[in-house]
Amino acid sequence: MKKERSQKPEVRSQKKKFKNILFMVRPVFCALYSVFCILYSVFCIPSSVSAKVYIDITSPAVKKLPIAVSEFVGTSGRELSDIIMDDLDFTGIFLCLDRNAFLEAPAQPFNPKNWTVLGAEAVVKGTVIGAKNLAATVSLYDALEGREIFRKEYQTEASLLRPLAHTIANDIYRQMTGESGIFRTRVAYVSRKGGEDNLYLADWDGHRPINLGIKGNVILSPHWSKDGSRLLYSAERNRQWGIYLLDFKKMSETRVFSSKGTNMAGDFFPDADEFVFSSSMNGNQDLYTYRISASKLNRLTSSRSIEVSPALSPDSAHIVFVSDRGGTPQIFIMGRDGNDVRRLTFNGPYNTSPSWSPGGDRIVFSGRHGGKNQIFTISPDGSGIAQLTDRGNNEDPSFSPDGRYIVFSSDRDGEKAVYIMRANGEAQKRITPKGLRVFGPRWAPN
Amino acid sequence: MKRFLVLAAILGLTVFGCAERKAVMPTPQPQEMQQPQIKAPDESKKAQEKITEQQIAKVESKDVPSQFQEISGTFKDIYFDYDQYDIRDDAKQTLKAVADHLRKNTAQKVLVEGHCDERGTSEYNLGLGDRRARAAKDFLVSLGVPSSRIDTISYGKEKPLCSEHTEECWAKNRRGHFVILKGK
Repeated sequence: MKKERSQKPEVRSQKKKFKNILFMVRPVFCALYSVFCILYSVFCIPSSVSAKVYIDITSPAVKKLPIAVSEFVGTSGRELSDIIMDDLDFTGIFLCLDRNAFLEAPAQPFNPKNWTVLGAEAVVKGTVIGAKNLAATVSLYDALEGREIFRKEYQTEASLLRPLAHTIANDIYRQMTGESGIFRTRVAYVSRKGGEDNLYLADWDGHRPINLGIKGNVILSPHWSKDGSRLLYSAERNRQWGIYLLDFKKMSETRVFSSKGTNMAGDFFPDADEFVFSSSMNGNQDLYTYRISASKLNRLTSSRSIEVSPALSPDSAHIVFVSDRGGTPQIFIMGRDGNDVRRLTFNGPYNTSPSWSPGGDRIVFSGRHGGKNQIFTISPDGSGIAQLTDRGNNEDPSFSPDGRYIVFSSDRDGEKAVYIMRANGEAQKRITPKGLRVFGPRWAPN
Repeated sequence: MKRFLVLAAILGLTVFGCAERKAVMPTPQPQEMQQPQIKAPDESKKAQEKITEQQIAKVESKDVPSQFQEISGTFKDIYFDYDQYDIRDDAKQTLKAVADHLRKNTAQKVLVEGHCDERGTSEYNLGLGDRRARAAKDFLVSLGVPSSRIDTISYGKEKPLCSEHTEECWAKNRRGHFVILKGK
């Protein structure tokens, strides 16, 4: 074609030539595109069928999805299905229907008519067999369409019944929302007893607490690495404030920083080698970063005021912290190099303990209101402040890895305990037992 | 012209074809791509998972033994006003006694603990306690005690003496406490 055209002595404008080339090339591109389209549709349509999103949790006004979690068949069936129901219920995006109203017995096959009359849109049924080793089969049905949308088999040992239930709940959550659930995540916190502090790790719902064996005269709220394999915390031992690292892969503790003065660990940077912290090593409480592998210290602030509680934005470009440079402790934001400092909080005489949401859109903190410390959230631009608690003193707030929940400590029921709630303040629930004095909780990323 | 028409027809068809498919297809979520075990319901193959968990062995915190013998209770505590770290007049007598003691016992050091009341949060109170301990240290230095013989530590609100939620109790907790350090 090219040859034929070049033989013609016609004079064409540059524009026309370009247009012609375009015309010649376009079908090639388009042909390639259509091949791609066909391949795409062949390979992607099957997954897109199961990827129907039943609840769009990103929508501001989510209508609760009515779900029926039938009691599972088998000896531990009731316990298993109860945990799944508790998990789904806490999210606030499901309406878990009352089992007493169910028409279909657990062992009966799924019949959509038994459920649509109850208003159920999704139905979970399952069986679990075994005593020492458990094998569970779980089905999730779309009651309106009358079809099974998900089925999976699970195996585990009896001691992992709760993780099994949480895994099933995660799968149901993903099927319904398209997002990852947090039901297998855990929370680390500090327990205080007889003048000694200990680090604990428990499931997100407070069950299965483990004393990690880490001791200190005082231990402060720990900080997780992004992959959940490292925990950074400050402890006072033998009259010295050191910063320690617990490596879950090696199950060993190392002191990564110590000096004279008060050293308080802040968040890890994403590589889990560098962290931000506050220290009075140079006289005044200021903010620093420290790179463990290179033993490299970098000073971020040099002021005559108290600077504490540094926390990183999820993109690690900004640090939110507490300073009393204006006379009272307030929350400030600066760049990760210590520049561009601006004040975030102006309401109330005492605002501390900031922590960033994983999406970067909210900062949670503890602020004094009516003589007590309450949990608030605010946008990083200072707008949209919301008070989430109103009973007792509430401190140490931090977000769950999906940003949908907040964990904090409170003395509302007497002794200090760990509580969780939805990020809008709903469903406040104590997760640590009576008689255990605990504080400083941090939600693990996984 | 004829060639152009054919070309246009091919082009039109392909573009139309592409556009149509594009409209029908929902954008797949990245999460679904990472979850190959979730299969379409009509497939006979079932998804399977074995649930395991890392066994967490207990970690022993290594204790570094102190090189000093500690003597507490030799001196009275000094007190501070709410959210303040200035040395009050009623604290000066105790500080002078500490300075005298250190002058007489040249082998000894003093550790000043800074404490706060329960109001406020842990980390800010640790910063405030640190300042209170350092204010006491600065005062001792002004009385002629070498700064190398004064250590400070902050306990913030973590080690209260009095646990009631009253102003009387809080006032007792906003304190500087002195511990004599003797070489072992």
